[in-house]
Amino acid sequence: MRGEIGLLALVSLYADSVVPTAATIPLLSFLVSHVLPGDAPKHLNGVDEPARKFAVVIDDFQKATITHASGIPGRTLWDLFLKKLWEINSLDALHVFFDALSLLLVKTREERQKDAENGVVQASDKVLLSWTSPLGAFVKRAQLKFTRLQFHDRITLWKAFVTYREPTLGMWKRRNPAAGKTSFDTNLQDDNLPMMGRLIDVVYGDLTDGERQEADVSTDDVERILEFQLNEMQKMGTRLSEDMKSQFKNMIQAGVTVPSLNHYVKFLDSWRAGDYPSSFDNLHRYFDYTMHNRDRTFYQYALLNLAILQADFGCVTEALDAVHETISTARENKDMECLNFSLSWLYHFGKAHPRDISQAQKTGVLGGEKEALVILKAKAKDAGMWSLLSTSLLSEAKLALTNGDSVTLAFETITKSSHLNVTYNIINVIGSQMMMQASVFARLGVTSLAWSYGEIFLQCYADQSPVEDVLNCICKSAYSLSQRGRYDEAIARMDEIDRDTLRILKHHQYWTVYSGLLKLQRQLHKDHLVAAEHLLDQLRGSSSNPEINFTLALLEIDLLTRRGDYSTAMGMLEKLSTRLNDEAADIYQRVKVMTLKARLLDKAGIPQKGFSVALRAASLAHKARLLPALWEAVGAVSRVLISLDEFEASAKLLASIMPQVLECEECDLTAHFFAYLADAHMGMAGQAKAGTPKRKEQMAKALEYLGQSFDEFSKLEDVKGQCEMLAKKATIMRFNGDMLLANDCAAQYLDIKRAAKENA
Amino acid sequence: MAALSRQDANQLRATLQDAVVKCSERCLYQSAKWAAELATSLPSTGDLTPDSDTDPDSPMENVEQFPPPVPIVVTSNSDPEEARLESQEINKYLLAKSYFDCREYDRCAAVFLPSNIPRGPLSTTSPNNKTATTTNNAKGKSRETGRGAPGASILPKNTLPRLSQKALFLALYAKYMSGEKRKDEESEMVLGPADGGMTTNRELVGISRAIEGWLTDKMNKKMQETSQGWLEYLYGIVLAKGKNEEDAKRWLINSIRRCPFNWGAWLELSELVGSVEELQSTMTELPQNIMAYIYHLYASQELYQSTEQIHQRLTDLERIFPESQFLKTQRALLFYHSKDFDEAESIFSNLLHADPHRIDALDHYSNILYVMSARPKLAFLAQLATATDKFRPETCCVVGNYYSLKSEHEKAVMCFRRALTLDRNFLSAWTLMGHEYVEMKNTHAAIESYRRAVDVNRKDYRAWYGLGQTYEVLEMHLYALFYYQRAASLRPYDPKMWQAVGSCYDKVGRPVQSIKAYKRALLAGTYYDSGSSFGSGATNAEPPHSILDPETLYQIALMHEKLDDREEAASYMEMTLAQEEGPGGDDDDDDDDEARGPGTGVTNTTSKARMWLARWEFSKGRLEKAMELANELCQDGVEVEEAKALIRDLRARMEKEKA
Repeated sequence: MRGEIGLLALVSLYADSVVPTAATIPLLSFLVSHVLPGDAPKHLNGVDEPARKFAVVIDDFQKATITHASGIPGRTLWDLFLKKLWEINSLDALHVFFDALSLLLVKTREERQKDAENGVVQASDKVLLSWTSPLGAFVKRAQLKFTRLQFHDRITLWKAFVTYREPTLGMWKRRNPAAGKTSFDTNLQDDNLPMMGRLIDVVYGDLTDGERQEADVSTDDVERILEFQLNEMQKMGTRLSEDMKSQFKNMIQAGVTVPSLNHYVKFLDSWRAGDYPSSFDNLHRYFDYTMHNRDRTFYQYALLNLAILQADFGCVTEALDAVHETISTARENKDMECLNFSLSWLYHFGKAHPRDISQAQKTGVLGGEKEALVILKAKAKDAGMWSLLSTSLLSEAKLALTNGDSVTLAFETITKSSHLNVTYNIINVIGSQMMMQASVFARLGVTSLAWSYGEIFLQCYADQSPVEDVLNCICKSAYSLSQRGRYDEAIARMDEIDRDTLRILKHHQYWTVYSGLLKLQRQLHKDHLVAAEHLLDQLRGSSSNPEINFTLALLEIDLLTRRGDYSTAMGMLEKLSTRLNDEAADIYQRVKVMTLKARLLDKAGIPQKGFSVALRAASLAHKARLLPALWEAVGAVSRVLISLDEFEASAKLLASIMPQVLECEECDLTAHFFAYLADAHMGMAGQAKAGTPKRKEQMAKALEYLGQSFDEFSKLEDVKGQCEMLAKKATIMRFNGDMLLANDCAAQYLDIKRAAKENA
Repeated sequence: MAALSRQDANQLRATLQDAVVKCSERCLYQSAKWAAELATSLPSTGDLTPDSDTDPDSPMENVEQFPPPVPIVVTSNSDPEEARLESQEINKYLLAKSYFDCREYDRCAAVFLPSNIPRGPLSTTSPNNKTATTTNNAKGKSRETGRGAPGASILPKNTLPRLSQKALFLALYAKYMSGEKRKDEESEMVLGPADGGMTTNRELVGISRAIEGWLTDKMNKKMQETSQGWLEYLYGIVLAKGKNEEDAKRWLINSIRRCPFNWGAWLELSELVGSVEELQSTMTELPQNIMAYIYHLYASQELYQSTEQIHQRLTDLERIFPESQFLKTQRALLFYHSKDFDEAESIFSNLLHADPHRIDALDHYSNILYVMSARPKLAFLAQLATATDKFRPETCCVVGNYYSLKSEHEKAVMCFRRALTLDRNFLSAWTLMGHEYVEMKNTHAAIESYRRAVDVNRKDYRAWYGLGQTYEVLEMHLYALFYYQRAASLRPYDPKMWQAVGSCYDKVGRPVQSIKAYKRALLAGTYYDSGSSFGSGATNAEPPHSILDPETLYQIALMHEKLDDREEAASYMEMTLAQEEGPGGDDDDDDDDEARGPGTGVTNTTSKARMWLARWEFSKGRLEKAMELANELCQDGVEVEEAKALIRDLRARMEKEKA
């Protein structure tokens, strides 16, 4: 607050109209940059100030004023400013200073009437500040704050001000030779008694002791910093950085009264750090101190925080109880904001933990999902909570996608959400909106678009969005890279992530699991089954994210298939499929499982058995416009056709979808499709008479496709696939009588095998 | 009284040191502090130490140099019986003392006295009360007295176990303190429903009976002389609390005779003395020693006697105790009472520099600064006091005064309330809080505050005056009159009091008394100016040798007018006018024109008087004179319109007469 005294002095200087016209604008912009809360222009002089100072230092004043001449000849503004400051020469003068502030303001109607009655005439050369102007509000607020101070707090302020002003003594002396060591308090100047020292000791003892740092930050400053920090932490979901933490520690040690907000910051920090007991402790401490702040009860917020916390640490049932209590309390207290937020949270929680929520309670407050979304949207609109409305719309889009409803609906809601984001500048929802858009395109098989959406997000919005979204996006794109066989790039992308993000336990876990998944996939392709199993064991059960769990299950099945343990794989698949059906999971996952079943049956040598399942998958995927899944299902159908010797139909089918498959940019899918094509053409070659050009043509096609499939598998470093293709190639070549080439292939085959073994 | 010889000084110091130890042994902290301060304020003997080296035989010097090893814990007792008892119970005593120091009063008392002393209001129904034989108990009607002086039993038995007097005193004193503490707790909030003198110290009965029994026992055994005075002191306090003042005084004097260096006893005694006459009469009963001398000074100061004589006494004392802050404070207060604020302020300021940690009497200093409107100084003082101790009633009063000067009355009241929460008997705070409530137009609370102030100390004229003022605001003049009279009797030489009395008499329709009161005011006004008591003959029209307050004169004139004594009224109006030029301009004595200051000049009051006179002359038909006065009025620019109207009338009359 003592910095504020300086600002106030400057304001009164301005009001005294001694500021010449030339200096008015710099002066005012200096004032405004400190007076306005929060979003003062960051780049005031075009220079990037990394850490905007919360407290104004006396040097700042000097810099701002010393270059300007004043209305009084021979004096700079700085001189006048010093005069103002040094005129506050006792505790009483400080009181007078604050009392006089009201003279800076435009008078109220009553006051004016009174003045008119008493015949007081307004001085015309004064600039009067309006009550509603930023400066006027600042002055009024400062005055009010001072009035509310207890007497000893005023003394503390006064002493802080004395230290604050002290560095300017030298400059003040230059203009006022009379000023001396004790001139900071007029009461000490009156008489030069020999005993003066003792008196000063008693009154200003703590100042002369050299313990100056004590008053460096005021409670107000700390509160503002904490608020800012909290805002950051909540908006971005980050933790306190290490150096910030140590700074806070210093401030608190300096002995200012620390607002209870501190506990909340600590709570967030320890929560993010995964320190359950201390986050719990701090949360309770904070709400014990602030349960009844500003005539509002914060009970519902306490409960909401508790619910989130518990959910985060896996105490699902407790979290549910807490959130239900939150909802009812918020209803009771008519706190719409909290109510809407908790409902939305409950909805998302239900999405994330479908099993737990169905166990814990079937008849939710929200009813079915669709009804829930309708309620949420209506409420958000009523309360004007645009970001909630925007996220609700995104949830609607997501729901439409998972249920396999029309894609246009999804597009519509996404566009609505995007419109809201732009209109109300809701930056932190943009991330999820773009991710949603990317996933729509991915489902439509337009991988390149999906990819570029992710890139746009990372390029443009990463630093303004919650780190969780950023992390998600990075992981997704790394996954996508690895599917294209660009493993190293994928790993590099994973490493791009900010170290600070990973200081949050949850994010770190997510990141680790994802990296693990990528590695596991690579090991599987490399046919390092032991390593893969090892990884799998580590990853299993380490995440509650349904998506990750699903991917993990698929990889496990893949492992089993590669081992040739088809029956176990089938059993797992069946289990997975029933679970997904129970949970009404994403239609994409269900289709995927069905296709996989068909493929597994194919691998097991009984492809016909998978015909109906493959067809069903294809029709489901078609209905839901899940194009990659559709192609996969079609692939499975073509396998069935091949097994039924319907080579031509199969080839036709495959050839017709091949362009789209290539568009998906999934190496595994493409490789398999080329292999299928090769098989189909081989079959057709078999159907043709030996020696006919048709057979030759087909054989050549088959060879070509085998080569392409081999290339794709090589991209993936998939040993088994590569070997299979080489073997097939060698066989065809030998059949063609090309022994040399066949030998080459065989040699290549052996090389790859050996290399794989050596690496293993 | 000249400065003491070295020998005497040393002896005095030793006595005082002994008193300090004895008082702290009995947990009389304030008395101990007082005595210790006084002992250190004796001129230093540091330069005399070489002497003592050469004269090792002198026992006094030895004391100076080699303090006895154990005196802090136990002083030796000259009475062998007491000494024996004390040495027997030394263990228990130390335990009790530490309990007392930790403010565990009940526990302390229980060390020596298993709880067999009756408590509470039993005594009102006690059969002993009816068979009272002690005649001293004259005022036995009130409940308080019934409780406070139940010592009226026929044969109060000594129910106390056989203990040394020191142990006995400590135990009973602890009981008393615990009772006081409980009383404060029961009173709850300041000015709250339970706070209003209804709560009493329930231990008083028991203590009083116990001591009574002990004293009778001593008397029966013809061993009064072995008593050391401490128990008498406690008995005096208890009796005073029970409003049994005569007895209390008797026992306090008794205590003082045996143990003169217990300042607490003197303080209690001074509170019981209500007037100068009473003081004089008690002085005769007291031993003639230095303490009595200090006491007389202090009591006179409390009674607002700031005469030359008292100043002289103070000067004498300061020769003995040149460094005494207590005496300096007394001097400052004397100046304050005689409204010499500058002098008082400079003394306090010096005191502050000498010992910045001293908070005692700073509330008076702040009052002085308040009257002088020295805001920066007052703020500084508040800062200083707060730096030393935020929670002393004196500090709260200083801060409250500062707020009051800034017209932040709510905050001031808060401060005073805090002071009272800290110490309910803190007189200044009650009075000052009353002032604040008057400012806030809360007359009810103001009256209650003033009343409490008066209850604490009957000699506080400001509270009496405040009460009067408040009642005057409420238009209850007869009531107000009573309080103003009390104030005036406390400050017979303060014109403000008498003016107030006079105006009250006027309001209740008794102009004769009103005139008398106003004349007293005139007299009192001159008293301070000339510095000596002036003849009582202010009734004649002879103007005193100084400016008179024109307002008072004008009021007297108006009173005479009310009595239809218009001639007299006119003469007083003339006197009012005369004050404009000061006494020098008067016809009586032109000789010392320069010596007197100038007059008051034209004021509202004199103008009113002039107007009155003009009308009067007009009615008398002395038109010339009336014309002259009216013209003067026009020149002065006060009440011009009326004056002009009068002039017009006068002209008309003159024309008519001419015609």
